[in-house]
Amino acid sequence: MKQQVKRHWGLWLTIIVVVLGLIGVGLTRWDAPLYQQTVAKVTQVQAINRNSSTDEFQNKDVTYQQNVTVRILNHRHQGQVYRLRNTYTKSGAMDQAYRVGDQVFVRVPAAKSSSVTIQGLKRDTALAFVAWLALALLLLIMRFSGLMALLSVTLNAVLFYGAIQLDLMTNGGHLYSLFGVLAVIFAVLTLWLVQGFSRQMLVTLGATIAGTGIAVVISLIVFAVTHERGVTYEAMQYVTQVPRPLFLVETVLGSLGAVMDESTDIVASLFQLKQERPDIAPNQVFKSGLQIGHSIMGPLINVLFLIFMADTFAMTLLYLRNGNNWGYTFSMNMSLGMVQSLISGIGIVLAIPVASWLASRLLPSQEAAA
Amino acid sequence: MSTITVLGLVLFALMTIIGGKTGATAFLSLIFNFGLLFLAVVLISWGFPAMGVSLVIGTIILAFTIFFGEDNELAAKTAYIAALIVMVALILVIFPVEHWIMAQGFSLEDSEDLEGMSLTIGVSFVGVAVTEAILSTLGAIAEASIAIAAGLSEIIEQHPHVTTARLYIDGISIGKQIIGTTFNTLFFGFFGGFLALFIWFSGLHYSFGSVINNKIFVAEVLMVLFSLIGVILTVPVTTWVMTLEHRHVAKQQD
Repeated sequence: MKQQVKRHWGLWLTIIVVVLGLIGVGLTRWDAPLYQQTVAKVTQVQAINRNSSTDEFQNKDVTYQQNVTVRILNHRHQGQVYRLRNTYTKSGAMDQAYRVGDQVFVRVPAAKSSSVTIQGLKRDTALAFVAWLALALLLLIMRFSGLMALLSVTLNAVLFYGAIQLDLMTNGGHLYSLFGVLAVIFAVLTLWLVQGFSRQMLVTLGATIAGTGIAVVISLIVFAVTHERGVTYEAMQYVTQVPRPLFLVETVLGSLGAVMDESTDIVASLFQLKQERPDIAPNQVFKSGLQIGHSIMGPLINVLFLIFMADTFAMTLLYLRNGNNWGYTFSMNMSLGMVQSLISGIGIVLAIPVASWLASRLLPSQEAAA
Repeated sequence: MSTITVLGLVLFALMTIIGGKTGATAFLSLIFNFGLLFLAVVLISWGFPAMGVSLVIGTIILAFTIFFGEDNELAAKTAYIAALIVMVALILVIFPVEHWIMAQGFSLEDSEDLEGMSLTIGVSFVGVAVTEAILSTLGAIAEASIAIAAGLSEIIEQHPHVTTARLYIDGISIGKQIIGTTFNTLFFGFFGGFLALFIWFSGLHYSFGSVINNKIFVAEVLMVLFSLIGVILTVPVTTWVMTLEHRHVAKQQD
């Protein structure tokens, strides 16, 4: 009876949190006063013109023009109505059509003669909605065991932010040491939150760090031997510091979660195996670890591979339609993602024997368990 | 030899040494998946509709990833059916959201890379954004569905007469175990790769408001969230498909 009451409480609490979240999402439609930028709402649009165009590579596109009427929602010009012209293309690579009801950031120039311009769509409501959807599903299906994972992600994000600030303060001078230490802290914090502080957690941590470390060493050797031929650092996006160290750090951080994921699975299974069969020999434990690793590694490498490669889609497409051949397009857009995937893959594979070996040697011995 | 070739050979050697035949096939699936991804871009650049391309290529990528990685037939079949259902459900979320949020194509931060390029290429970048989002979630969906289907099929093997209700509880509890670590895989996978962008944002003092409305940032966060939604949905869906299969097999045996 008591159990049932408790379970009902959990359900009601979840529903209340989910409903409050949805209200929060709705409120972002009225958060304009919180922004420094001027926010406006599109109240009326009118299509005025369309032009077909063909570029030098025979790509056909259509350019549209629309008159957009906006009403300012915050700050000095609040309530004022402006009419402006928006030009957009059918493909919409850097522009877009505006619809009635959209909220946009606008720039209202001081001089009366120059016109008001739209600087971009306000996307916070849609983003909050998708975040709400993910959290609501997490709470409804997983109940509160998803919260711990959420907590660790939040803490990691805060650490990540702090490390970036430190990096900027030192102008990227200590990138390796800074993010090397950060990677270790990430691993300790995450595993501690998921598993608590225990022998099992230490074994997992050791496997994660050793697996990633060896993968980096192997990759650096390969880099040295091949003189980094075909690694197009110059194609790296959004670079404001020296690209090569940034790329290596990105690779290590990118694979860290996957290596932890895998080490956790293997070590947890082996500890359970040892509990069920206390007399099992270390060699047998090692073999079982490899066995578990076999089926995990393929899908896991694919997870990272698809994440790293999907990002490059838009740019790759643009290169292809701009008359570049496949080889050049690949090397300018996909080769870095490929190198990243391969290094991560090496880390993921190496973590299997390391985790299995560490677990087989460091499992609590029979006497200690008894 | 180029660095990519050597790294590829090292990975292949390691996967074969440590994983044996399973490792070698897993490496093969990686190569196939790369071919499929490239094919997807090429098809879209030839003018095929992005939606259709992502559906077809997605279906094949899931098949390669799941059937090449899992030996148990019941587990693989269940995982595949569940992954397909989740993919379709996700498309129903991704499609309207991408048309609402308009985080497609490029942003001002890309200007330097876009110099000298023609942007009027006649291919809808919203469609491309939908494709990117769908394909980036597939790995995580496949991994989760395999983990749950494998766990449940082992339970069925050991207790052939397990009840449907019991199986459902077991499925969710396996899901609870994997969700925490999968979160981390996704978080680091996405954000580790965007260190340079975040340094850019901080270095140029973007306000919090401009970051959360920034096209590139929003597109990236959306991909993480879609993957999360995919993984979360995979848990009950895989369990449900497994109970159906189990009931079906049990009926045949009677």
